[in-house]
Amino acid sequence: MRYAHVGGGGPGAPLLAAAAALCLLLSGCSGLPQAREMGDMALLRTMGVDASAAGVAVTGSTGPRARGLQAEGEPALVLAADRASLSSACLAMQGQSDSYVFFGYVDQLLVGEALAKEGVRPVLDYFARDRELGLGAQLWLVRGAEARQAVTSGGEEGLDRRLETLRHDGDMGIASVARTAGEVYTDLLEQGCAFVPALALSGGEGPLVQGGYGILRGEELAGFLEGEEARGLELLFGGPCGHVLDLALGDEGTAVRVLSARTKSSLELRGEDLPALKVVCKVDARLTEYRDPPGEGELERIGSLVEARERARIEGALERLRSWGTDCTGLGAEAAMARPAQWQALREDWPERFAQVPIEIQVEVRIQ
Amino acid sequence: MSKQEANAPHPRKVPQLPGPLSLARLEEVFADCADFKKRQVYLHGDSSRRAAVCYIDGQARSERLNDYVLRPLAQDPMLASVPEGELFALLERGALYAHGAKRVTELDPAVFALIDGSCALFLEGRDDCLVFPVATEEKRSVGEPENEPALKGARDSFVESLRTNTSLVRRRLRAPELKIREHIVGRQSLTPVDVLWLEGIADPDTVALLEERLDAIDIDGVEAAGDLEEYLTDAVRSPFPLMPYTQRPDRFCQGLLEGRVGLFADGIPLGWLVPGTIDQFFKTGQDRAYHWLAASALSLIRWLCALIGLLVPGLYIALVTFHPEAIPPKLALSIVAAKQEVPFSTIFEVLIMLLAFEVIQEAGLRLPGPIGATVSILGGLVVGNAAVDAHIVSPAVLIAVAIAGVAGYTQPSQDFGSALRLWRFLLAILASLGGLTGLALGCAALIYHLAELESFGVPYLAPFTTGTRVPRGHPSLFRLPLPMMKWRDGPIQTRNRRNQK
Repeated sequence: MRYAHVGGGGPGAPLLAAAAALCLLLSGCSGLPQAREMGDMALLRTMGVDASAAGVAVTGSTGPRARGLQAEGEPALVLAADRASLSSACLAMQGQSDSYVFFGYVDQLLVGEALAKEGVRPVLDYFARDRELGLGAQLWLVRGAEARQAVTSGGEEGLDRRLETLRHDGDMGIASVARTAGEVYTDLLEQGCAFVPALALSGGEGPLVQGGYGILRGEELAGFLEGEEARGLELLFGGPCGHVLDLALGDEGTAVRVLSARTKSSLELRGEDLPALKVVCKVDARLTEYRDPPGEGELERIGSLVEARERARIEGALERLRSWGTDCTGLGAEAAMARPAQWQALREDWPERFAQVPIEIQVEVRIQ
Repeated sequence: MSKQEANAPHPRKVPQLPGPLSLARLEEVFADCADFKKRQVYLHGDSSRRAAVCYIDGQARSERLNDYVLRPLAQDPMLASVPEGELFALLERGALYAHGAKRVTELDPAVFALIDGSCALFLEGRDDCLVFPVATEEKRSVGEPENEPALKGARDSFVESLRTNTSLVRRRLRAPELKIREHIVGRQSLTPVDVLWLEGIADPDTVALLEERLDAIDIDGVEAAGDLEEYLTDAVRSPFPLMPYTQRPDRFCQGLLEGRVGLFADGIPLGWLVPGTIDQFFKTGQDRAYHWLAASALSLIRWLCALIGLLVPGLYIALVTFHPEAIPPKLALSIVAAKQEVPFSTIFEVLIMLLAFEVIQEAGLRLPGPIGATVSILGGLVVGNAAVDAHIVSPAVLIAVAIAGVAGYTQPSQDFGSALRLWRFLLAILASLGGLTGLALGCAALIYHLAELESFGVPYLAPFTTGTRVPRGHPSLFRLPLPMMKWRDGPIQTRNRRNQK
C-alpha cells in the first residue's frame, strides 16, 4: 500500500496561520497573557487577615530574598492595609510597594482570633476565587492576638521560614498537625466544622509558639483545644505522632515515645436505640528510656499505662468536641462508609447526634 | 549570446559531444587543457607504423601507461611484422597488457574515458581508437568514522571513492541480492551516483522513485551532500532532514537489511538511506551493540534531550515572564534574587544568550581544533562568568540556555539537531509573545509541520502515526532484545517483513 499524499503542505497551512494572526491582531492580542518581569516583583510569602473597624485588616510580608527591587540586607517588605473588603485591601497594598506585589506565592495564611470569631469563610472564599492566591496556603489561627502582630513579629527575616519549619515538623508528628486552607475549606463545606492549628505570641510579642487547635463550627471559631486535649485530637485525626509519655514504674522512670496513631470509627447498631459510635485507635510506640530491658509482664504493664493515658486524652478531646457539636476529625463520615443506610438517617442532624451518641473508645497499643 | 538566452533553461544534451571520433576532433575538444597529453610512438621502432597515445596527465597512472601500453608498443616485434589490416585487431585482442581494451568510434565516450583515466590509442590512418583503463587509484584510505565514533563495533568508515564504499558494503552483505545500479549526475561533474538495495527486501517502488528523481536532477555538479539531498527530498523548505545518512558501513548495511534503499555519490564520504523517518535520526550505530536495556535508556535520554533542547528556553521565558505562579516557590525566590540588578528583560536575555551560544559554537567550528577549543572556553566560561558577575545576564538564563544547548548535542544527527535549534528560536519567540499559550501553539505548529512531511512516500512520523492499517515495526523510543525484533518496519513497505526465524 502506498501512502496517499494528503496535501499537508498545500495552501491550507499559510491560510490558517494568516487567519490566526488576523484574529490575534483584531482582538488586540487581548487573549494573550500579560508579561511581567520576576525581578521587579515582590513575592508575598505570608499574609495575615484581621477584623478591623474599617472591615478587614490585611498584612503581607515577603520573606528573605523575595524583596523585589530592594537590595540584599534590607528588612523584609511588610505591607499593610485596612479596607472594607479583602480585594480593596490587597489593591491598596499593591500601591504601597515600588515593585509589583505578587500574591501567587503566599504560602502562609494567618487569621486573627477576632476575625475567626466573626467567620473565616469570606477569607477562604477570596483565596479560592483569586487568580493568584489559592487554597494551597497553610492556614493558622493566631490565638489571643492579631495576625498583623504575628506577621510583623518575624522581623527582618520574615515569618515564612518559621511557619515552614512548623509545617514540616507537623508532617513528622513533632508539632501540631498542619492544615492547608483547602483542607479546612473542604471540611467546612462537607462536615460543617474543622480544626485549625493555632499559634500564640510568646510573651505577647513573639516569637510564635504553638497554641493548640482552634475549632471552627460553621465558619466561626468555637474554641480552642490545647494540652492533653490537643494530643487527643491528634490521636483521633491519626497520622504520625511525636509525643513522649513519661511513665513511673516503681522506682524507675520509663519513657515511651508514641510514633503514630491510626483511628477508625464505626457505627454499632443497637436495635431501635441510637447507634453507638465505636472508635478504635491503634497506637505504635517505642520504649526510648529504661534502666533494664522490660520483661513480658512489664511490657504489658507499660502498654496498659500508655493505653490509659491515650484513652484519657481521646476522651478529653471528644468531650470538648461533643460539647460544641463538632465532629471535626470526621468520625461520623468515616463510620458512614460501612453503613450508608444508617448514615442517611443520622446525617442531617449529625452535629446534634454527635453530642449525644454513645461512644465506645478502644485503644490498642503496640510497643516496639 | 543574449542575456535572455544565457538565463534561459536549456535541455541537457545527450551525448554532450556528438559526432564521429578522430584524433583531430579529440585534440580540438581538449584544446587549452594543459593536462591533455599526446605521445607519438613508432611500433617496434618502425617509422612507417605510427601510433598516438592520448591521456590526461594526473588521471592516468604513469607506471601503468608506461608498462602496459607504451613498452609493448615500442618493444613487441609482432607489431612491426603483422599485416597492416590486422594490426588494430591484434592490439585490441591482447598485444597490450591492459585488463580491458575497448574500440571507440564516437567522440563522446572517448572524451569521457580519457577524463576517467583511460588512455586512447590512435593508429595512423584510422579515426577510431582503442581505450585502455590505466586510471590512477589515488584516494584516502579507509579510516575511523569521526562523526560517529564506535566504542564497541567496527571502526571503518566510508571514503570519497564510490567503489571503495560499495566494496565496504559488499564485504558485509555478500548475498548476490545486493544490487548496485549507477547513475551519472551533473552536467560538468558527471558524478557517478550508486543506488543500492537488497532485492526481495527493499520496496521496488522506492527504488524506482529514487532512480527517477536521480535521473531528473540536471545540475552542473555534485560537490556537496545538499546537491543530492535538496533535489531528492519531498519537502526542501523544511529544516528537518528527510534523508538520514551515515559514515559507518555497518549502520548503512543495517539500513539495507531493514529494507531501506541506499545511496552513494562519488566524492562524498557518506551513504544515505531512504525513506527517512523521524526515529532514524535518533538511532546510533551503537544501539545494537549495547545491552538492550542500556540502549533503551540511552534512546529515551536522546528523545528527552530533544524535548529539553527544544522547549527549555521557551518554557523559561513563558514561566518567568507570564506564569510565575507555576514555578515552585524556592526556585522562584532564587530566580528573583538572581534577576535583580540585571538591566535586560528576560525575553531579551534568553534570545541574546541563544544567539551568543550559536555564535560561540560557529566560531569554535570554523577555527582549527586547538584555537576552537580556546574560543569555546573564552566565550563560554570566561565571558559567561564575567557577564553573570557583572549582572549583565541572570545565571538562571545562562543555565537554561546551556542546558538546552548541551541537550541538543546528544542528537546523533547534526542535521536534525540544527532543525531543532531553529525551532528552539521560534518557540522562544512565540513564548515571549504569548507565554505558555504561544509555546503550546508553537508546539502544535511543529507537530503539524512534522505530520505533513513525507520521505519517498512514507510519513515522517510513521513510527508513531501509521495507525492500524499499516503493520507496525518495533517500538521506536526504546530497543527490545534483538531475538524479539523479528519484524522489519511496516511503513517502509518492505517486501519481506520477517527478519529472523
